[in-house]
Amino acid sequence: MSTGALCETPGCDQEARLQCPTCLKLDIKGSFFCTQECFKKVWNVHKSVHKKETVTESVAYNPWPGFPFTGSLRPYPQTPKRTIPSHIGRPDYADHPEGHPLGEQSARGSSYIKALSDEEKEGMKVVSKLGREILEEAANAVAVGVTTDEIDRIVHEACVERECYPSPLNYYEFPKSCCTSINEVICHGIPDMRPMQNGDICNIDVTAYHRGFHGDLNETLFVGQVSESAKKLVQVTWECLEKAIEIVKPGVKYRDVGATIQKHAQSNGFSVVRSYCGHGIHQLFHTAPNIPHYAKNKAVGIMKAGHCFTIEPMISEGVWKDEQWPDNWTAVTQDGKLSAQFEHTMLVTETGVDVLTRRLEKDGLPYFMTAR
Amino acid sequence: MENLDDSDVIPDLVGIVDNSPSLSSLTVENSVFQTVPVTIVTGFLGAGKTTFLNFILTEQHEKRIAVILNEFGEGSVLEKSLAVGTQGDLYEEWLELRNGCLCCSVKDNGVKAIENLMKKKGRFDYILLETTGLADPGPIASLFWLDSELCSDIHLDGVITLVDAKHGLRQINDIKPDGSVNEAIRQIALADVILLNKEDLVTSEDLSELKNHIQTINSEAAFITTHHGRVNLDEVLDLGLYYQTTNLRSFKNTPTKFSNPSKSHIDLVSYGKQDKYLLIYSVRSVTLELNERLTPEVVDAYLQRLLWEKDVVNSLGLTLEIFRIKGIVRYSQPETDHPSFVIIQAVYDTYDILPVKGESRNSDDLRSQPDVRFVFIGIISLFEKTSSSAVLYRRNLELGILKNALLQLLHPE
Repeated sequence: MSTGALCETPGCDQEARLQCPTCLKLDIKGSFFCTQECFKKVWNVHKSVHKKETVTESVAYNPWPGFPFTGSLRPYPQTPKRTIPSHIGRPDYADHPEGHPLGEQSARGSSYIKALSDEEKEGMKVVSKLGREILEEAANAVAVGVTTDEIDRIVHEACVERECYPSPLNYYEFPKSCCTSINEVICHGIPDMRPMQNGDICNIDVTAYHRGFHGDLNETLFVGQVSESAKKLVQVTWECLEKAIEIVKPGVKYRDVGATIQKHAQSNGFSVVRSYCGHGIHQLFHTAPNIPHYAKNKAVGIMKAGHCFTIEPMISEGVWKDEQWPDNWTAVTQDGKLSAQFEHTMLVTETGVDVLTRRLEKDGLPYFMTAR
Repeated sequence: MENLDDSDVIPDLVGIVDNSPSLSSLTVENSVFQTVPVTIVTGFLGAGKTTFLNFILTEQHEKRIAVILNEFGEGSVLEKSLAVGTQGDLYEEWLELRNGCLCCSVKDNGVKAIENLMKKKGRFDYILLETTGLADPGPIASLFWLDSELCSDIHLDGVITLVDAKHGLRQINDIKPDGSVNEAIRQIALADVILLNKEDLVTSEDLSELKNHIQTINSEAAFITTHHGRVNLDEVLDLGLYYQTTNLRSFKNTPTKFSNPSKSHIDLVSYGKQDKYLLIYSVRSVTLELNERLTPEVVDAYLQRLLWEKDVVNSLGLTLEIFRIKGIVRYSQPETDHPSFVIIQAVYDTYDILPVKGESRNSDDLRSQPDVRFVFIGIISLFEKTSSSAVLYRRNLELGILKNALLQLLHPE
């Protein structure tokens, strides 16, 4: 039968009609190949996949016995919560016992979109630039064998060095300083002791809070050698964000962002995650406007100079539907297939858009394109 | 455990196995998928919400109805009690509100909690949400008025407001210290169905005065008088007002002409000083009818100006403040894939345009419709010049202004 899947041998774009039987036995997703000959060529690399899965199986840690995981990723133990020195300014939820952002909650229900003053714009520019530096440090550390907890430590310390509070920490009691979302994890993955494996895709989502403002960005990176299908997904996801940013200027309806993203994702055979959306950001981490990434939405509002928000499409290989792990955070694809994401914080200007979290080097290209 | 990887024997590939039963079962589920309607029930303390809900729960019917009690959408309590009635039997469930993240999530925790409960305990046929007496139903309705693209298990069906025949008038006329529109008026303005309860306790004169009041605020809601909360459930449930392809039911029994409120109906609801006028707020329905074919673009632009941009001002330079719009519009291009008739619903600044179902499209109700019919429910301000004794009443929600704004978009110079 044909599933539209492509052969996973690097450089081979043939349609896959065959599958590795060992992977099937081990319940490893994917592992599609065009022919036995092609499979032979990559066997020496491919067989390591089996070993890793076997290792994974032997890990005894399972906090939710009986929970039907949708894919092969499993939670690993987490390290204790890290602390932030008291001299660094903190958002209101940092010290709330349940991590409630009271400022956000009181603004909830209102669709009023604030246009930032010059001073506020400056605050956003500064924190967004710091956020980019922090993500860069984390991205440089991504490699086979590195744990996502190590990424979290790097983000945490990079924040402290820059007088930033890592916004996710204690937000509705989120236990860590950034989100790390591997493979089928759509977003909000919690950094833990799992070492990253060859072939993983890993999204690192960083938000920094500096002198009263939040700056939010994320990128998906390759761990070692990834499959061609994963490369295509990550590439298309990046293009979705770029195309969405291209339409941003005063007068454009927020509801139109989703149509742009969905068109590009669908024309490449991918789906758009619908449960999570872009959001207004400034002194509040998440506020109006709500920007769905799917078409045919009822989002309220028109872009105006001074509006500041994120666009952060999550694009999935298979179905768009998501499920949540019992940790109440980790969002995974319902079919266990890959999902990728990119995010920028941007400011609407009089004539267009200023992408505040853009990468200043390499022409703004994402790390997955410029990695050695 | 068997180590499958020790040998260096390359296994023979096998044909691709479609091991995604979850996917195919989902498709099957989708094809017979019926989402569960949610009706929001509002009304002041003593208006008879509890009696009404008990009537629905204990009435013999084939449906499994869940009533989510009080205070929904408020506070951060993690569990809410939930009464479920099936064929006259009552039992209690608990709704777990996960303390999860609201951030960048398009679904409210309450919506997720209901979906999860139905996953665990089986589907309900109907869900009724009781709000607190003082709640503004608008924001709660928005939470449940989900984009159909989200494929939620539930959908917003309508808003029912109960009004106490005896105390209703006093509640409508209650003045808020900050001069804003009080909750009783908001509840009436946003209602799709108004149940006037305890009609047996008042004289027929008092009843008709209250009725007139309510209908000047909201001329479009279905109006039902009742006692002990007894109503024909078909008249209040399954209205299908906000969901995908809608039906015309709500437009059938409504008056086509807007009755101008006589001066005696102008109630001094609240006031505050502004410039040299005394500002008095109340809420009214205004109907705009027009025989001109609109395009989808014009309708979008019109609604966005009124509801988002809020740059349409009345003759005194005051912004029109609109709570609710219901409309029915005939589009100009029936040959394209745009439906020729659409229904428009807006609650505060959220609006949706819903195609009229095929079978309704040729009905007599539609044929007798003008091309454009909008009902606006919003704030009307009345001005009394304080420097002299002369009273100058002005309408904020001016029909002429609303009409001109539309004509400007339709025929730009």
